[in-house]
Amino acid sequence: MKKRGLVVYALATLVAAAFASTAGAGSSTVERSEALNCKNRMRIAFMTPLTGDAGFLGNEQASWAKYAVKTLAPKYGLKVQLVLGDTQLSADLASSLAQKYIADQRVAAVIGPSTSGAVAAVSSALAQAGLIHVSPSATRTSLTKGSQKQATPYFFRVVPDDDIQGPADALFMVNQLKVKKVVVVDSQEPYSVGLGDAIERTLKAKGVSVQRESVTVDRSDFSPIVTKVPNDADVVFFGTQQPPKAQTFAQQLIEQGKKAKLFSGDGANDPDKFKVPGSYVSNFAAPIDLFPYNKAIIAGWQKDNPGATLGSFGPPTYGAVQVALNAIKRACDAGKGTIKNRKDVLRQVKRIVVKQWILGGSFKFSTKSNDPLNGQFYIFQIQPDGKYKLVAPKV
Amino acid sequence: MGHLLVLSVDLVGSLRTDEFVQQTLNGLTLGAVYALIALGYSMVYGVLKLLNFAHGDVYMVGAFIGFGMMQWLGFRGTDGVWAPVISTWFVLFVVFVVAMVGTAGLGVAIERFAYRPLRNAPRIAPLISALGVSFFIAYSMQLMFGAQQRDYNVFGIDNGRLFLTGWELPGTDVRVPLVRILIIVSALALMVALWFLVTKTRTGKAMRATSFDREAAAMMGIDIDRVIVFTFVLGSALAGAAGVMFSLRAPASVTMGFLAGLKGFTAAVIGGIGSIPGAMGGGLILGLAEAYTQGYVSSKWSDMFVFVLLIGFMLFRPQGLFGKADIRKV
Repeated sequence: MKKRGLVVYALATLVAAAFASTAGAGSSTVERSEALNCKNRMRIAFMTPLTGDAGFLGNEQASWAKYAVKTLAPKYGLKVQLVLGDTQLSADLASSLAQKYIADQRVAAVIGPSTSGAVAAVSSALAQAGLIHVSPSATRTSLTKGSQKQATPYFFRVVPDDDIQGPADALFMVNQLKVKKVVVVDSQEPYSVGLGDAIERTLKAKGVSVQRESVTVDRSDFSPIVTKVPNDADVVFFGTQQPPKAQTFAQQLIEQGKKAKLFSGDGANDPDKFKVPGSYVSNFAAPIDLFPYNKAIIAGWQKDNPGATLGSFGPPTYGAVQVALNAIKRACDAGKGTIKNRKDVLRQVKRIVVKQWILGGSFKFSTKSNDPLNGQFYIFQIQPDGKYKLVAPKV
Repeated sequence: MGHLLVLSVDLVGSLRTDEFVQQTLNGLTLGAVYALIALGYSMVYGVLKLLNFAHGDVYMVGAFIGFGMMQWLGFRGTDGVWAPVISTWFVLFVVFVVAMVGTAGLGVAIERFAYRPLRNAPRIAPLISALGVSFFIAYSMQLMFGAQQRDYNVFGIDNGRLFLTGWELPGTDVRVPLVRILIIVSALALMVALWFLVTKTRTGKAMRATSFDREAAAMMGIDIDRVIVFTFVLGSALAGAAGVMFSLRAPASVTMGFLAGLKGFTAAVIGGIGSIPGAMGGGLILGLAEAYTQGYVSSKWSDMFVFVLLIGFMLFRPQGLFGKADIRKV
C-alpha cells in the first residue's frame, strides 16, 4: 500500500512538473503586457562576449555602453540600469540570456547581441516578447536583407552590413591597388565567411583571380596557409574578429618573403594590436576623434576608463544605446509616462534621427531595412609609426 | 580508380620543392611545441597513471609569464619601443627561464593541492579534479589579466631581425628565420637534456622505477612523493617553455591551452603515452601532419585529421608507435 502511494505521488509530481515546465516555456516566449512606469528605474540589457577569445571586443563595448547609459539616460529624463550578459560567442548562451531578459519585466530594450550568430539565435524569442534589440557590431547581411532573413523586424543595427563592407574593400583593391591576384582567407565563422564571400564575388566580377583559403577560428599560427600564398599575389584578405591574429598573419607573410599586403575587415581594426606597416584595414566608422563634436564624449569616456585607448567596437555601442534610449523616451512620451507594452518601443525606433552621430554625420534608419541609411565603410592604411591613415573615402 | 590516379598526380604535381620544404619547416616548428607539451603528459602518466588535463593551461600560463617578462625587460615607453636593459638574446634566455620556473611552481601546486589528496581515490576522481583545475586556471587568468590576446611583438625587436634574418636552405629559396631556429634548437636541447636526465641520472632512475612499479619502488627506499613532485616540475617547466616558443610567433590567449593540451595529449598517444621518445616523435609527427594537411588538403580538415589520428591510434595501436603493450595476468 505504502509502495503504491509512493508510485502515485511520484507520478503526480512528474505530471505537475511537466505542466509547470510547459507553462514556463510558454511564458518565456509569449509577450506579457505588464506596463512600465517611466518614472521607475528600468533596465537595458546588453548581450556581448565578455569572456573568451572575443572578450576584448565585449569589454570595450561594455565600457561604452556603461558610459552611454550614465551620460545619456539623465538627458532623456530616464532612470536606467544597464545589465550585462556574457554570450562568450555562444549562440546557446545568448539564447539562455534572452529568456532571462524576456522574463524580467523591467527590461525595456536589449543592446546586441554583438555577434551575428547570437543575433540569429535570439531574435525570434525577443520579438515574441516584444523586445527590440539593437546591435552595435553584427554585420551579417542576411540578418536584415534577403528572402530568408535570419533576424526579425525587432532587430536593428547601427553599423552597415557585410554586403557594403565586402564590395567597398574589393573595389578599393581593384581601383586603388590595381590588384590582379588576391587570396581570400576566412576564419570559418559567419562573419568572416560572409565577408570573404562578398569580397570574392566582387573581385571575380571585376576579373581578378581569387584563391580562397580557410582557417579554423581557434588557429593562431598561419604558416601553412601563408606558404600557399602565390609569390605574385598582390593582396591577402583575412577576415578575423581578433586583431592580434591579423598582426600575426601579416608578420608571417613578411617572414616567408611574400610580397602580398594583408587587408583585413572591421573585426581587425585596432591600432594597438594590428599595426604591421603597409597593411590595410576597413571599418564601419571613421575614427571618432575626427569629428570635433565628439571631443567631450571622448574625454568623459577616457576619464571613466583611464589608460584605455579608442577602439572601433566601442563607439557604435554608444550609438546603439543612444538609439534604444531615444526610442524608450519617445515611447514614454507617447504613452504619457507609461510604456503599456514593450512593442510601443518598436514603433518609435524608425522615427529616430540623431544629429551629430558619434560615428560621423547624422543618423537615421533606412526605410527599406533596419540598417543605417547611407552606411559606408572606411579604409585605412597602417603607417610606419603604426598609426591608421584614412585612405578612402575622403571625409 | 581513375579519380584517385588523377588526385595523386595532382598532389605530386603540387609538391613543389620549395613549398614542401617550407611546409616541413612549418610542421617541425609546430611539432617542437607539441612535443614539449606531450612530454609533460607522458611523464605524469608514466609515473601517476593520470591524464593531467590541466597541462594545457600550464602551457598557457607559461606563455603569459613570458609575455610579462618581455614587456618588463624589453619594451619601453608608451609606444613600446624595444630598448632592453640587457642584450636581446639574454632577454630571451631570461624569458624562457622565468617562464619555466614559474610553470614548474604551478605544477608543484597543482600536484600538491589537486592530485595528492586523491592519489588513492578511484581513477575517475583525479581526472575530474584535473578538468576542474584546468577551468580554474583558465578563468583565474582571465579574471586577473582579461580576455585580450597578448602579442609578444617579436617583430618589434631590433626592426624585425628575428624574422627577417636567418639561414637560406641550400638548393631552395626557403629561408629559416632566426626565430624558428631558436624554437627548434631550444626544443631539441630541452628534449636532449630531459633524455639525459631520465636515462643517466639517479633521479631519472628513480622516476623510471616509480613508473614501472610504484609500490616496489617505495619498498626499495625511493621517496615516491619527491619523484612525483619532480616529474611535475619537469613536465610543467617544459610546458612553460613550449608556451613561450609558441608565443614568439603567434598571440597568446587564456583559451590557448585547451586545444594545445588536446594536441599534446594526441601527440603523446601517437608516440605511446608514458614513453619519452614517443612523446618527442609523436609531437613532431603531429606537427608535420597538421602542416601537410593544411598545405596540401585543406585547413578545414587539419584539426579533424588530428583527432581522427587520435581515434585511429586508440583503436588500432593503443600503445602508440614507441610504447609497449601492457601484458596483464588474468
